[in-house]
Amino acid sequence: MANKILVRALLASCAVVALSGAAAAQDFDYGSFPDYTLKVKLIGGTQYEKLYTRIPEWEALTGAKVEIVSSKNHFDLDREIKQDIATGQITWCVGSNHTSFAPQYGDLYIDLAEAIPAEELAKYVPGTLKSSMVDGRLVQLPRVTDVSNLYYRKDLYEDPARMEAYKAEFGTDLAPAKTYEELKQQIIFFADPPNLYGTAFAGKDEGMSGRFMEILRANGGDLFDENWNPTFNSPEGVAALNWFKEIYDAGAVPAGTVNYTWDDIGQAMAAGQLAVDLDWPGFAGFYSDPSASKISDVLGFAVSPVGSAGVRGGWSGSHSFSVTEACDNKEAGTSFAVFLTNDESAMMEAEAGNLPTRSKTFDDVINYFNENGKTALAEMFPIWQASLADARTPPLIPQWIEVSNVLWPQLQAAIVGEKTAQEALDKAADDARIILEDAGIL
Amino acid sequence: MTTTTEPLSRPGFMEGVAAFFRSPRAVPYLLLLPAMIVILAVVLVPLLVSFWTSFTSYNLTKPATLFNFVGLRNYQRLLGNEDFWWAFGRTFMFVTITLNLEMLLGLGLALLINKITWGQRTLRTIMMFPMMFSPILVGFQFKYIFNDSIGLVNNALFDLGLISQPIPWLVDGTLANFSIIFAEIWMSTSIFAILLLAGLMALPKDPIEAAKVDGCNPLQVFQHITLPFLMPFIYIAMTIRSLDVARAYDMVRIMTNGGPAGRTELIWTLMTRTGYQNSQMGMANAMGYISILLSIAFTVFFFRKLTAARSFMGGAQ
Repeated sequence: MANKILVRALLASCAVVALSGAAAAQDFDYGSFPDYTLKVKLIGGTQYEKLYTRIPEWEALTGAKVEIVSSKNHFDLDREIKQDIATGQITWCVGSNHTSFAPQYGDLYIDLAEAIPAEELAKYVPGTLKSSMVDGRLVQLPRVTDVSNLYYRKDLYEDPARMEAYKAEFGTDLAPAKTYEELKQQIIFFADPPNLYGTAFAGKDEGMSGRFMEILRANGGDLFDENWNPTFNSPEGVAALNWFKEIYDAGAVPAGTVNYTWDDIGQAMAAGQLAVDLDWPGFAGFYSDPSASKISDVLGFAVSPVGSAGVRGGWSGSHSFSVTEACDNKEAGTSFAVFLTNDESAMMEAEAGNLPTRSKTFDDVINYFNENGKTALAEMFPIWQASLADARTPPLIPQWIEVSNVLWPQLQAAIVGEKTAQEALDKAADDARIILEDAGIL
Repeated sequence: MTTTTEPLSRPGFMEGVAAFFRSPRAVPYLLLLPAMIVILAVVLVPLLVSFWTSFTSYNLTKPATLFNFVGLRNYQRLLGNEDFWWAFGRTFMFVTITLNLEMLLGLGLALLINKITWGQRTLRTIMMFPMMFSPILVGFQFKYIFNDSIGLVNNALFDLGLISQPIPWLVDGTLANFSIIFAEIWMSTSIFAILLLAGLMALPKDPIEAAKVDGCNPLQVFQHITLPFLMPFIYIAMTIRSLDVARAYDMVRIMTNGGPAGRTELIWTLMTRTGYQNSQMGMANAMGYISILLSIAFTVFFFRKLTAARSFMGGAQ
């Protein structure tokens, strides 16, 4: 009898533990939406779509069905969403978003801070969550964060001949650069075209504008002053632009880098053609994969350099999910967005090398990498996590992409030698001023 | 008198219209009506709306701006916009060079294939392969081929020992435009070749044989018989291609996106960036309506030439 009581007590205690465990795993109430079909527009592409394999789990949990009405790369999705706004055809509930794009969409999306309990929001990285707000409204839930740090080839940095030559030329030891000035020096030092270049940079679109902004901020400048007057044509801006121009003129980067985007740089780095690469966390998995990368055995990581002001630029952005105001079941939409960014989802994204947006995931994923022999990624994560402290998004105004589009062609013009840095930046500043004046910001 | 005729005439008019629609004479119009309605809906209405927006500050993400009339402001700004006019001029050059080279190469291909007696169908099919590719894929393909560090062209030149430093195909102003024109010609020359081959196959043999009997050499036969006969086909192909050449947008978008520093900016890349990325659809439509002048000029030119060529064929000259 006593044994039976003991067994029952043990079973009961196990059940309580199991229930409390389940409750802990599901603090957020995902709700029940039987027979409801949630229409979503999601960013497509290999690196983003693995997360969508969790959608059936959400369907089983809530009884709802998910219909993906559109899946495109983000630029095409952005175009489609703008067309939806123009035609008033917002017939979908959840859409992929990005911190750089979000300010353009006005009141298309709901304030998620009003729909999600504060204790759930507290699980996200605070700075990342703050960057997801537009005009004080949380219009998106971040799924992965991007901030750039240095990837470098250890074999080059540990090559005795190069170490000696570097010491002889510059009087310092050859080690990953701590300042942009030092990085420029090393990029030019390593370059041995056409087989090896110091680095490559994204030379067009927002990639060019963003990287310029990063060095500008590291030099103590900024794109605009507190009244939104363009200030990037300041001496700090000229110095930032000349940084690109000097490595370009020295032939230390591929001449075609002015047409490169992230994929081109990634391919060149993985092929062993670049010595260093200031790049996003998503490339870590690719570079450390021996089947895809020639540098997997010699891959090193270092935190991004500081500029002449002694600070990091920390250009940052997050991919995210938003729920539309026009949604006929905002509760289901919010449930879906939270589910795709919860701890389990964040872990799935982090295991692929992406920088998660939930605080808990950082420790979890480092343990996972160590336990699964992915030492390179385990080494990389703390470095990227540390740099989040300095992370800053581009200006969160609807006109950012438009300003970027007048900025990068002028940056290119200076880099390829058509204009001086000052002339190019002055022209871009004039054009940016017109954009902001037309928008009523200035 | 007038006050009495007005009420009497209106029923009369309406009855007349009703009688017309009941009569057999109305059948052609009734049969055409669905097509006309569709054309009005999908062509005329968008044209009118886009024309209206070119006089507004229409921003794609702010639908209310559709009614914010700004008069000629968009057009005035464009008149003083150096970048726009460079893109306009570059587009004119691009269309002129591309169409002429495609025509010459297409004519050459068509003449060669017309001479073949065995395997002509297979060759015709193979020749159409480039047309089957999406312009986006062609863009990626040539971006890789002309890539300065890992591209096929530079690697081949290195291996042959012809260069010691990579050639920046997609960076240098002349080379970048050459690369884009090359890709466009690769993609679309076969359209000319197919159309001109159709012309050659329809060419009557009698005049050629008569000319040969009269002692004409092959060049004279080509110059005086084959080419005049082909001219209507050439101008039809030119007209079709001049309207269709904007498909090259996707390719340019991928290869250079108009850069670097606007060196390869065409009106289409500029318009798309303005309209979709910057959301300034009013301004983009104003660009569109100015660039329509270019399309109209090309079309009028080719149709005039076509009429002249057909008159020549008909023995009027």
